[in-house]
Amino acid sequence: MSGRHPFTLLAFAAALPALAWTLPAPWGAAGTFAVALLLCLTPGSRPGLGILRTAILTAAPFWLFLFLLHDRATALAIALRLSTMIASFVWLVAILPPARLVEALVAAGYSVHVAFLFAATLSAVPVMRARAQRIVDAQRCRGLATRGGPLTRLRALRALALPLVLSALHEVDERALALETRGLSAGARRTALAPPPDSTAERVVRWTLVAACVAGVVGRVLWRV
Amino acid sequence: MTAALRCDGVSFSYGATAALAGISFALEPGERVALLGRNGAGKSTLVRLITGLLHPAAGTVWVGDWETRGRGPDALARRVASVFQHADQQLFASTIRADVEFGPRALGLPPAECARRAAAALQALELEPLAHEHPYDVPPPWRKVAALAGALALEPQLLVLDEPTAGLDRTLRALVTRALAQRSAAGVAVLVVTHDLAFAAETLDRALVLAAGRLVCDAPLGALLIDEARLGSLGLVPPAVATVSRALALPSAPLREADVARALASVARSPRPV
Amino acid sequence: MAGLTFADVRFWYPATERPALDGVSLAVAPGDVVAVIGSVGAGASTLLLVAARLAPRVTGGTLEGVVEAVPAGIVLPTPWTQSSGMAFTVADEVAFGPANLGVTRDEIARRVDRWMARLEVAHLAGRDPATLSGGELQRVILAGVLAMERDLLLLDEPTAELDPAGAALVWRLIRDLARTEQKSVLVATSDLDAVPDFATHVVWLDKGRVRAAGAPAAVLTADAIWTSGPGSTTVAGLWRRAGLAAPAPLTVADLLARVR
Repeated sequence: MSGRHPFTLLAFAAALPALAWTLPAPWGAAGTFAVALLLCLTPGSRPGLGILRTAILTAAPFWLFLFLLHDRATALAIALRLSTMIASFVWLVAILPPARLVEALVAAGYSVHVAFLFAATLSAVPVMRARAQRIVDAQRCRGLATRGGPLTRLRALRALALPLVLSALHEVDERALALETRGLSAGARRTALAPPPDSTAERVVRWTLVAACVAGVVGRVLWRV
Repeated sequence: MTAALRCDGVSFSYGATAALAGISFALEPGERVALLGRNGAGKSTLVRLITGLLHPAAGTVWVGDWETRGRGPDALARRVASVFQHADQQLFASTIRADVEFGPRALGLPPAECARRAAAALQALELEPLAHEHPYDVPPPWRKVAALAGALALEPQLLVLDEPTAGLDRTLRALVTRALAQRSAAGVAVLVVTHDLAFAAETLDRALVLAAGRLVCDAPLGALLIDEARLGSLGLVPPAVATVSRALALPSAPLREADVARALASVARSPRPV
Repeated sequence: MAGLTFADVRFWYPATERPALDGVSLAVAPGDVVAVIGSVGAGASTLLLVAARLAPRVTGGTLEGVVEAVPAGIVLPTPWTQSSGMAFTVADEVAFGPANLGVTRDEIARRVDRWMARLEVAHLAGRDPATLSGGELQRVILAGVLAMERDLLLLDEPTAELDPAGAALVWRLIRDLARTEQKSVLVATSDLDAVPDFATHVVWLDKGRVRAAGAPAAVLTADAIWTSGPGSTTVAGLWRRAGLAAPAPLTVADLLARVR
């Protein structure tokens, strides 16, 4: 899958959640969730089981809360839909390097600002994770215990939260300035350095996915009426 | 007396890449040591091993009478305080004073003691005027000094600093020198990773040089900095004070600025042989 | 019109009363390397941002006075926030700037090779920028900005992360760019020992004002630079501390000539 054109990957990652929400629950949502999990197992930039684990671990707390708050049927429906969204996003982040997406967007004629917006969203998670690790390391070296019972871990999490957000915001400011220094607003059309290869087959797949989503929405509306 | 820091045959690899091999040395309390070497020599890895963020694959690291094996960095923080490069990116609290208090508080000390330690550290680094400021509101060099204050507040037996003077001007470098001299006079061992050899000449006494993961030199700093050939073979460049000291053949090859200036004065004023 | 001109420039950051720049006038002509020195917070970084037209456009704030500048390549002080975050390899990172300017692919390849060679980072071409050390990254970012081949270069502490050998390389390169390629260069630096070697002019900035400007020998030997400024070179400091007669020599070579 990782060799596919970035737009194809994007189409899958967007279509699955869209279908999950428009198809009748719970079978529709279960189906899309299953497909999303299968995608997580396809070879990509990281071993498939690792991505699968991340997706499941991220979705797990939601399942807990939903089953506490709602009746079985509603909880199941929402949980499956949310999980599809989460699994699709986790898969997309793991399999699509931001640089390739930028190249695809630029080659397709989109403005550089749009391209970087997408790329920044994709790279947000790994960047945050790296930053969190640096902060936790520094805090541990100043005596903060992070391993141990639940109370200790909670305290450590609380100590991490504020510096993580603050340093992220601060860096966003500096990054925005730095991108400007590299000609972001020069007004010229960015040269595509290595446009990802595309094929007719992939284009067909993408449009089919879009059509399926549209059909899903239309179907949902008609069903209600 | 137990050494403040001891490494016995320490080795470490990142996956298949060997980073350190057979590192052995000891630091006594009050010693001031420079850890030198080119990029990629293994200095940062050694620092992470000393603080407990990593554990050696072979050999032992002793911080005081504690082995690092089996202990996390938070436990070792009672003995060793460290400041990493770019620590100014990791300031935790909403004021500098609160950030400096972070360490003592994390160790579970009573509030009065935390406040006392923070006040002492802030004073040693002349940070009181900025103590109420938000870390991101002060210029980056002052943030670096604040990070150092945070380490001093832990009142450790061993201080490990990674490039503490990068980006600091003359005044702030002198501040750091003075604070480290005070600490070492009080018995704290100081290990500084630096490529600012001028700062090392002014502040430190002994040099440990790493090259490709091995300890290739363990010598008094003065002897090393005067030996231009040796420095060159290690990929290092002598600081101006050392060049002046050698070029003018100043007696007993001084390296501290005050001593060099004094020797220079007598050389410049005495009649020279034609 | 070439280079950079500031005429009585004042600049306030948003919501601040005290101006960061308070009546600065200076000129940088092609072939000049102007070193801006000053204590922390003196306004050197702000000066560069205004010259690059990033202030007030991107930073916000108020600008008064006249700034005339050709398009500039600017390097900010912290390399790790300047990496694009969107390059697989170092070569792509260096190509990032020129690509944004719409330079053709062939020309980009030529520029990437040329500037990576001059910054001695060609051996890192295939590496992931996120795995580089601070010093390597700083040289890569510098190569990336130089690859944009602008006529005005604004550098904020370009050697902060470099070891002495790397710093010497960068100062030599900057001096050559001005001399042989007639670029206009403005550098903010706290590495005072290097200033006499690479700078044609020195501007001493203090609280947003120009305290002194002129040849390195003039500005760096004034006594005031020690009493109320960032100080001068190590050699000048030793001379002054030794109580010897002004003007102080700035480099080891000058010192030896005076003493022998």
